Amino acid sequence: MKKLTLLSFIFSLFLLMSPEKKLAAENLQTTIDSLKEGAVLQLENKTYQGNIVINKPLTIIGSKKTVIKGDGTGNVISIKAPHVKLSHLTVTHGSMNRNSAEEYAAIKIYTNNNIVEHIYIRDSFHGIYLSQAHKNKIRFNDIKGMGKGKIAEQGNGIHVYYANNNLLEKNTIEGTRDGMFFEYANNNHSYENNISQTRYGLHYMYSDENIFKKNTFTMNTGGAAIMNSNHLKLEDNQFIVNYGNQSFGLLLLQANDNLIANNTFYMNQRGMYIDQATRNEFRHNIIAQNQIGIELWASSNEQTFTLNQIYENTIPAVTLGGNSENNSWSKNGKGNDWGSAFPITDLNQDQIGDFPITYHSSLYQLIEDQELSYLFLKSPALKIYEKMNAALTKEAVMFHDPHPLTSSKGTHTDAIFLIVSLIIVGILIKGRHLLCITFGRNGRKI
Amino acid sequence: MHYIWKEWKENIRGKGLWLSLSIIVLISIAILFRSSVLSFDKGFYVLLINLFDTIIYFIPILCLFIGAFSIFQEKEQKTLIMLLTKTDHFGSFLIKKSLGLYAVVLVPLITWFFIYLLLLKFNFQLDIKGYFIFIAAIVCMSLVFLQMGAAIGSISRSRMQILGFTIFVWFYFFFLHDFILLSFLPDVTHENVKLFSSVYFLNPLQAVRMFLETGTGVYSFGHMSRLLQAFMWTKPVFFLIGNLLFWLVISFFTAIVFNRKEGYE
Repeated sequence: MKKLTLLSFIFSLFLLMSPEKKLAAENLQTTIDSLKEGAVLQLENKTYQGNIVINKPLTIIGSKKTVIKGDGTGNVISIKAPHVKLSHLTVTHGSMNRNSAEEYAAIKIYTNNNIVEHIYIRDSFHGIYLSQAHKNKIRFNDIKGMGKGKIAEQGNGIHVYYANNNLLEKNTIEGTRDGMFFEYANNNHSYENNISQTRYGLHYMYSDENIFKKNTFTMNTGGAAIMNSNHLKLEDNQFIVNYGNQSFGLLLLQANDNLIANNTFYMNQRGMYIDQATRNEFRHNIIAQNQIGIELWASSNEQTFTLNQIYENTIPAVTLGGNSENNSWSKNGKGNDWGSAFPITDLNQDQIGDFPITYHSSLYQLIEDQELSYLFLKSPALKIYEKMNAALTKEAVMFHDPHPLTSSKGTHTDAIFLIVSLIIVGILIKGRHLLCITFGRNGRKI
Repeated sequence: MHYIWKEWKENIRGKGLWLSLSIIVLISIAILFRSSVLSFDKGFYVLLINLFDTIIYFIPILCLFIGAFSIFQEKEQKTLIMLLTKTDHFGSFLIKKSLGLYAVVLVPLITWFFIYLLLLKFNFQLDIKGYFIFIAAIVCMSLVFLQMGAAIGSISRSRMQILGFTIFVWFYFFFLHDFILLSFLPDVTHENVKLFSSVYFLNPLQAVRMFLETGTGVYSFGHMSRLLQAFMWTKPVFFLIGNLLFWLVISFFTAIVFNRKEGYE
């Protein structure tokens, strides 16, 4: 009798349970297939075996320890229906096969209007792949690749292929090949993503009119590489410590009519690297403590630099490959703030220098001809070499700012140099005896 | 052990060690304040690189002075003759004296940097491996310049000579060495780049910097050209070890071969 009661109790529980919100069975794919369109599937704190294909609009919600583990032969989750929502899952063990016709991902989206959020992705070739998928929202995801040593063996954090009008927001990507890769993808918006230790944090190929705001790129080989892409807006992003022999904060290659505003380029090998690019505007950016602030190749024309703060860079700006006279270092009578390395007078107190600044350098030849010259950019000898070399070889104009702004920031390095120099000179002139007492004779005068 | 104890007593009575330490402490705290606006997760690396770039100006010259005056003091106060009249010869004296110097300078320095780590913990997400690499870089740099300082103290006859030699060595590694290499840079090809690289990494400042920046993962050597691959023909850690051994041995034998026993003011 007891057994019968218990059985009927369990049976009634199943009957009462909402059909849209049932616990997942061991075979996740069967469960998904059995759900109605628009159902909500709540997954337990356990590991489910993939791979799975979602063919109807539904919501899958996991918990803290919900894992969907692929079998290593393909995409772990394929979304082939619109209006699918995935959240709070860990997705792992996608195929790493590089010889297959298809590029696999932890989550591959083929449709529109999906939401993928709060997903941890590990051990997969690409993280999230949008293939001709539009108007999707990809946010709060955490994607980790295999790290810098295995760049070529893996894919990208988020790969956007022929996909438009997507929102990529607050994702964290680390150690993948490229953080976000856009290929023939237009009108996408990327906000507040955090990308580190990848090859290129952001990689644009043939993708136009995208907006990129408040993202942070740290310790990548290159922060953002914009190639063959036009009419982009990059605003309020941070490019920090992208530092290596070929590194840069931002690369513009054959990229035209882009707006780069209010970004911070700090401690990069090159803050900006501009080659074969036309009509880009750089406004209100902070370009500080980079080895080279702006590396501008002569094939680039009609760039406009205005209202930027460019200070404490080993070389503020360098023009390579010949004269590029079509670039403008001011707009509407407002140039750039070049820091205390270029002292200017401002007698009428209008925050604009009374005289133009022209920076000549002889280093361009060395940088052009010998890639190893980048190894000396931190050496104090470089400045002396530049000055001495100026007398022997032809100097070229690196930039000419007709309306430089007055400096709003003192330089830290110059202050250190000044203090050290003063101490050394002081010791040599007056304090030799004191120095000898300090370091010798146990500190006692005899 | 006697030498370490002797060195310790001599140095704590003097002002040099404390002056050097206080400079390092002040700089590191100043850099910490300056870096407090940096992000929690990656600011740690920025701080380490900034701190290294600043103290690289001070540690070499301070170690040179400490090493040089420590040896010279033995000559000046005639304690060297007293020590050598025992069974000791100059070589063994120099080894013990150098070990004493290492201990006296490095123990307070490392202690400070461990206290500093606690301060960093409140501001940044720590990478302990990265921090150990930073400390190893500082220790290697200190060892090289202490030993060079000891050599300067050994070959100098007067304090003026010590000042001259010390400033020259500092100036050489800061400016001249790189300046000479920069002059040869246009002629570097794939055939001679290995030689160029060996000379480049003979500069302890470059070897230490490369070790630190690659070890912490800040500097990446991805997608190297053939020339650069040939330039980096071994790992930065081996360049550093080679540099350390080279300068320790050279400085040690210079100190013995060109030793001048007498010293005057």
